Amino acid sequence: MRALVPAERYTGASVRRVEDERLLTGRGTYVADVRLPGMLHAAFCRSPLPHARIVAVHTESARLAPGVVAVFDGAQMAQMASPVASLIESSPSGGKVSFGILAVDKARLVGDPVALVVAESRALAEDACELIQVDYEELAPVVTVEQALDPNLPAIFEELGGNRLFGPETKVFGNVDGAFARADRVVRASIHQHRHQNVPMEGRAILASFDPSSGQLLVRASTQGVNTTRRMLAEQLRMPLDRLRVVAEDVGGSFGLKFGASREEVACCAASRALGRPVRWIEDRWENLTVSGQAREESFEVEAAVTAGGLILALRVQMVIDSGAYPGFAPLVVDTVREMMPGPYRLEALAFTSSGVVTNKASYVAYRGPWAAETFVRERMVDLVAQELGISAMEVRLRNLATRDEAPLRMVTGPSLAGITARDSLLRAAEMVDLASLQEHQRQLREEGRYLGVGFATYIEPAPGPRQEGGEENTERVRVELDREGSLLVHTAQMPHGQGHRTTLAQVAADEFGMRLGQVRVMVGDTQRTPEGFGTGGSRFAAMAGGAALHGARRLRGKVLEAAAQILDLAPAELDISHGELVGPGVPGGRLPLAELVRRIELAARSGQLPPGTDADLTATEDFDGGQSGWSGGTHCCVVEVDPDTGLVRILRYLVVEDCGDLINPAVVDGQIRGGVAQGVGAVLLERSAYDPQGQYLSATLMDYLLPTSLDIPHIEIEHLIPVRLDPDVNFRGVGEGGMIAAPPTICNAIADAISPFGAKVLEQHLPPARIVELIGAISA
Amino acid sequence: MLEPEVGQGALLSIRLQVNGEEREGEVEGRTTLADFLRDQLGLTGTHLGCEHGVCGACTVLLDSLPTRSCLVLAASADGCRVETVEGLARDGRLSRLQQAMWDSHSFQCGFCTPGFLIQAAALLAENPTPTEAEVRHALSGNLCRCTGYESIVRGVLAAAEGRELAGEGSK
Repeated sequence: MRALVPAERYTGASVRRVEDERLLTGRGTYVADVRLPGMLHAAFCRSPLPHARIVAVHTESARLAPGVVAVFDGAQMAQMASPVASLIESSPSGGKVSFGILAVDKARLVGDPVALVVAESRALAEDACELIQVDYEELAPVVTVEQALDPNLPAIFEELGGNRLFGPETKVFGNVDGAFARADRVVRASIHQHRHQNVPMEGRAILASFDPSSGQLLVRASTQGVNTTRRMLAEQLRMPLDRLRVVAEDVGGSFGLKFGASREEVACCAASRALGRPVRWIEDRWENLTVSGQAREESFEVEAAVTAGGLILALRVQMVIDSGAYPGFAPLVVDTVREMMPGPYRLEALAFTSSGVVTNKASYVAYRGPWAAETFVRERMVDLVAQELGISAMEVRLRNLATRDEAPLRMVTGPSLAGITARDSLLRAAEMVDLASLQEHQRQLREEGRYLGVGFATYIEPAPGPRQEGGEENTERVRVELDREGSLLVHTAQMPHGQGHRTTLAQVAADEFGMRLGQVRVMVGDTQRTPEGFGTGGSRFAAMAGGAALHGARRLRGKVLEAAAQILDLAPAELDISHGELVGPGVPGGRLPLAELVRRIELAARSGQLPPGTDADLTATEDFDGGQSGWSGGTHCCVVEVDPDTGLVRILRYLVVEDCGDLINPAVVDGQIRGGVAQGVGAVLLERSAYDPQGQYLSATLMDYLLPTSLDIPHIEIEHLIPVRLDPDVNFRGVGEGGMIAAPPTICNAIADAISPFGAKVLEQHLPPARIVELIGAISA
Repeated sequence: MLEPEVGQGALLSIRLQVNGEEREGEVEGRTTLADFLRDQLGLTGTHLGCEHGVCGACTVLLDSLPTRSCLVLAASADGCRVETVEGLARDGRLSRLQQAMWDSHSFQCGFCTPGFLIQAAALLAENPTPTEAEVRHALSGNLCRCTGYESIVRGVLAAAEGRELAGEGSK
């Protein structure tokens, strides 16, 4: 069903990535690969306790240790960088929280940085950390949501007066009470999503280099956006923006983790400024797993008002998010979960209550599809409703999914549903697995004591979502420039960390301008030339940056043709740019290399030979909000077999039917989908950020935090639907997050289906073998 | 030497062959082979993803065997032959494996790439025509967080098929 690619267009073709030749030969440049003269190495002394008062930090021995240049404790760091101030607007207690770049007075989680050692080598810095003595006064740890709401336990932030960070706050859409009054039945469930985390193969990293003579701070960062990193560093370091330059080269994965500047990264910049020497910090895996950030720990009390025929009229949802120790991202997540809760369904009413707590665990960070709980909760609920009513889950989905161009045209929470293909994707997925025969096969196997299960999940993803009224700020800027060598430079604030933007944006611009792919260079990751924009995230790239590049290339092409027509005394319509050359019957020799054309335009402009009004500035800057492109989405289907004796799950088949608009590079798109699904497989079958009841972190190595391997991830079949093209020219949509949004509910639904003969009810997302045998009653919980 | 060892302990002199060249250095007893390759020889293609021997990003060939260079002390590699990702391409030409991985869109962020390439090269040296199951098994000790592995497995199989074809053509 893949749309045919017109001949000689790069857009739509799986062209090889321009990034890869360097990466395949070991010539990538990650922060750890950069060394500067006089460079020092940072290591952090970290709290071994989850919750403790810091009485004293003794750093004398560490200062005298070999190779140590400086040691900074929390109080000293507070003089060098501003505390992080967090304002939680929906907090009942004012929600003003502030905390030091290094812990001052109090440690709030295992791994909280208490002191920074800067030394001539990393090994020496780590040695010196061992010599730092910290006097702690232990406080009772707050590990669970229940403990956070217990008034007898100490407040992690005294200024909050307790451990509730915000809420409970209720928002109501539609006539909820009316819908519940009409309902034949109310289906209730408590659904939990467990804590897990990004784990990019490269952890956080920074190389800060302060030049005392110019007062400039040059920062090499591993980040999803250099502008955001610069802004946050400037704020914490109290430096004017123009004194700070942030550069990023290769970034070894992120999945939401590397946004802005973490406390450790701020500390390294402050240390470089204080010492006048470059300071590099490369997070190790223990630090990454323990303290870089974790995500997803959310619980939901759900009530669904349903009719006997399986129509879901309304939901009442109470969400609690465990924000971990340092508040930041969690309050933003609940807003998106609420708005996206109806998904592609014709829900007529929703009451959504949200609250958040702080606990002595790693801070909540964005992780691929941060709001994914809405899909998990909704798709699990659909199956639970079906189970309770005794009708098939497929039936319930089909009765409730919105139909394109039929009322309702909007989600009950507001966003338009224009152009969605959710229903098409579900029907196609059912057809591809041949659901009827599969279910017959399942019945036969059950008679032999074998447990097959099939699960579906249908979702939509704002990528970037319907055009927002007055959403001026929500645009992406691209600057396109024809340089003197006749190359097209495409400057973007997008910061690729695996997505291949240097290739895909070049594909779009090359086609629109008339270049060969090799003549287009995508320029990223340097605040000295990167246009405004916060960076890569929220599936902004394809529609927003892709559209801005397309429009920019188009406008610049118009300018170039206009100027060329003046110089050659021809009409612009007689000219064309093709394969990176100016061509046309009137062009001397039939063709003119663009480098030569640029030279002649510059010469003509300088010598006043161009008529007034001719624009000889060979750049074009475009802002684009993603147009009418709207939603990505689709349906995933998974077939599993569960071994009831061992609890092991074997994925027999996994397929994705999806719509992310027009594909720029199908191989890149498929890679994003498969990578997202793999993280979903990990989330359900393997990964958990586990704490013991005392708040000690239990998953601090890759032998404890299990990532899926090549033996765990099945072949993933992908089919792309033909999209509904609502925008005149930009119908690419983001695709980074959908795999990770839809895979967990799909797999959980399949497992729940497989073990349903045991009367087991799946209300959680983490289903390792031990949990499955508990659920089926083979061992007690 | 890019970065002379700065340490507290006595330094040991080592000499080894890296990507066909004789190299020598002075290391502390605790210096890992990975750190030696990266810091002293400037071979930063070998990446450190966990430093506890699980992720496989630092895999190099040590006397032809795939080895986690984060778990080997540089001193104990004295006298050995080491091959790193930088040694795979010869005379500026990608190896068949690298080319197949490129054609197959095998990798995304590139951080795990060196370890997979070395591990796959070792597999193909031992078994030039592996099945998909054999490839998946051979690569199961290397972690990639981006791709879901399918593209990597396809790349290795494509390289193997290319080798087989080349073998037939030369008959």
